[in-house]
Amino acid sequence: MPKLSKLSSEEVINSAKKELEGHGYIASDEIATALYLAQALIKPILIEGPPGVGKTELAIATSKLLGKPLIRLQCYEGLDESKALYEWKYGKQLLYTQVLKEKLSDILEDAGDLSQAVEKLHAFDDVFFSEDFVEPRPLLKALWEKNGAVLLIDEIDKSDQEFEAFLLEILQDYQISIPEIGTVRAKVPPVVFLTSNNTREIGDALKRRCLHLYIPFPEHKLEQKIIRTQMPDVPQSLSKQIVNFVQSLRGMDLKKLPSISETLDWTRALVLLNATELEPHLVRSTLNLLLKFQDDIEHTNPEVPTLIRNAIKDS
Amino acid sequence: MLSDFIKALRSSNVTVSTAESIDANKVLATVGIENKLLLKHALSMALAKGIDDKKNFNKCFDLFFDQNMRLDETKDHDRQLSVESEDEHTKAADVLNSLEGETLLSILESDDQIALQQLLAAAVQDVQLQNIRIFTQRGVYMRRILEKIGIDTVDERLYTPTDNDDAEKSDFETLKNLKASLIEDVANIVDKNLLLYTANGANNLRQEILQKTPLARIEVRDFKVMKQLVSKLAKKLTSIHSRRRRKAKRGYLDVRQTIRKNIQYDGIMFDTIWKRVQIDRPKVIAICDVSGSVSQVARFLLLFLYSVSEIIPKVRSFAFSNVLGEVTELFENNSAEVALAETIKKWGSGSTDYGGALSELERVVGHEIDHRTTVLILGDARSNYGDPGHLALRRIHNRAKKVIWLNPEPRSFWDTGDSEMQKLGACCDRVEPCRTLNHLERIISDIARTAA
Repeated sequence: MPKLSKLSSEEVINSAKKELEGHGYIASDEIATALYLAQALIKPILIEGPPGVGKTELAIATSKLLGKPLIRLQCYEGLDESKALYEWKYGKQLLYTQVLKEKLSDILEDAGDLSQAVEKLHAFDDVFFSEDFVEPRPLLKALWEKNGAVLLIDEIDKSDQEFEAFLLEILQDYQISIPEIGTVRAKVPPVVFLTSNNTREIGDALKRRCLHLYIPFPEHKLEQKIIRTQMPDVPQSLSKQIVNFVQSLRGMDLKKLPSISETLDWTRALVLLNATELEPHLVRSTLNLLLKFQDDIEHTNPEVPTLIRNAIKDS
Repeated sequence: MLSDFIKALRSSNVTVSTAESIDANKVLATVGIENKLLLKHALSMALAKGIDDKKNFNKCFDLFFDQNMRLDETKDHDRQLSVESEDEHTKAADVLNSLEGETLLSILESDDQIALQQLLAAAVQDVQLQNIRIFTQRGVYMRRILEKIGIDTVDERLYTPTDNDDAEKSDFETLKNLKASLIEDVANIVDKNLLLYTANGANNLRQEILQKTPLARIEVRDFKVMKQLVSKLAKKLTSIHSRRRRKAKRGYLDVRQTIRKNIQYDGIMFDTIWKRVQIDRPKVIAICDVSGSVSQVARFLLLFLYSVSEIIPKVRSFAFSNVLGEVTELFENNSAEVALAETIKKWGSGSTDYGGALSELERVVGHEIDHRTTVLILGDARSNYGDPGHLALRRIHNRAKKVIWLNPEPRSFWDTGDSEMQKLGACCDRVEPCRTLNHLERIISDIARTAA
């Protein structure tokens, strides 16, 4: 058993947290642990959570942290391997056949009979299906990257089940089979993030190959820290009130609960409007930044004064 | 130790595969055990892969490691978690042997808590407490643990007559108290393990039995569980079969394949290849007899059909006893309970008339039945010696893709009394007894496979 002392792993996790912070991403302990484990065990991370809690952001911040390029694959229904993995450069291939036809007579000039000509043709390197004619798509690009990359497979739940099955080989062995060329294996395994919004259940086979990270809505302190990092010029008292307000909104029965990205948008708006404190009028006119359904807004409107009072009292 | 934990996880409904437990071992080797929170986060990433799983994991982790850490701390000579599953059994025996010198009696008398905990932990391992399954085993395991740690020496001392010395007597009292508290300790340990390893046992057992119980005999108090079960089965079927249903898509030119194919013609594209997606819209028409005896089964069939609406998109349902009526909308607009009660109230009062119902069905939806339609009939085929309606069914059968008859009675009851199964069955593609949830699942799965 390779024994890494406890200090090192804890230290690494803490320093990862700090460095992520430097890149504008405030990570919780779980997130930092996941990142550390993903690198230690060379395993992909499957991130789940409500929309807007920073699943995609984590991958972006990680790529900055590691100094590796971020390669992003957005999933959608009907995504297939020609868009995700590779495609042949048809135009070039056609040109090549034209060129070949012209040169063919030169090559076969001294061939006596047909069998000799065929032999000569065989000896000739077959470049038609070779790496020169391959147009790499995100997955292949990530494998080909010499110094490793951060591969983000976004919203895997939007893709078809067939595509999910197709990903298994990459996620397990960091290799992929191209029928005409052979198996391409990554020299440096990329750090892989998969994100899911849970619109459908992800298959067990895929889950088994990944570490599973669930990012919930942030806690009180964390959310404040995020606001402060993203917008250092927001007055302390206002940010506290904002967080209190949003947190209590999340306790209500709404269609779509506001997440971090909405909190940040709202904060930005309030700063633009030169607000120093939450006021009912101001909140009502900007509520559409936090809540994305008319039903939710109507439902919340009468509660606004109470919510504000509580938010100010608690801060 | 880790394998015990995984066992505990599995019993609380978190599915852990072998590959995942290997991962968990690697995780353990990477992060170590000193930081409990870190360990919890790390293990939860490797083992619990869903929101519900995470909740169960957290509960289980707290319960398990609270207990084991406490026992472990007393074992200062081997604090390490044995990661490679070395034989803990022999180790436990070793501890027991090494402690043989100090009897339980001397430990109790000297009030050596550390040695006592050590002894208890070893005994727990020795009797393999993690195999406990149901609560009735509590007594057995308690007794075994107490025997292992040598309670008999205490008993011997307690029940041997002694001189009526006062000092002896107070000693006697203390020992009695110590024994009582010891038994309490053991009971606590056993209870905790019971909770840990059987969190879901009772529930699972109940569900298993319910799946095999004839639907007509299920009690009202089990309806809630049944509803969960039905939706669970429906979800299972949906995930198996949903791949088969593809939305209709206009075919479009497959450039890649076309070019590849036409390379042999010098790249002149006269052989075009089209991407095509299958168009398949299966339809199911379900007819349920809701009169007295069959209504219980009909209730679950209807519930089931609506739960699988994702794989079988077009279901039209009818209910009848003496008159036939459509209940499709009723089910779409109401919760299952309301719709069921309403259906049975409205159509379930008359005496069954198969002839009338089947010809009425032919009149109402006959023109809609085509080669993609599966007709599903649920009933006991008891027509009160009236017209069984086999002629109408024959005509329906000729138009439909398939006619399936589900009979809630066992085969041996068919064709007895007023049952017309022979006549009606002859007009069906399949006749199946449908008595339990398991039957129902199998049949619906078949329909999804062939119809969708």
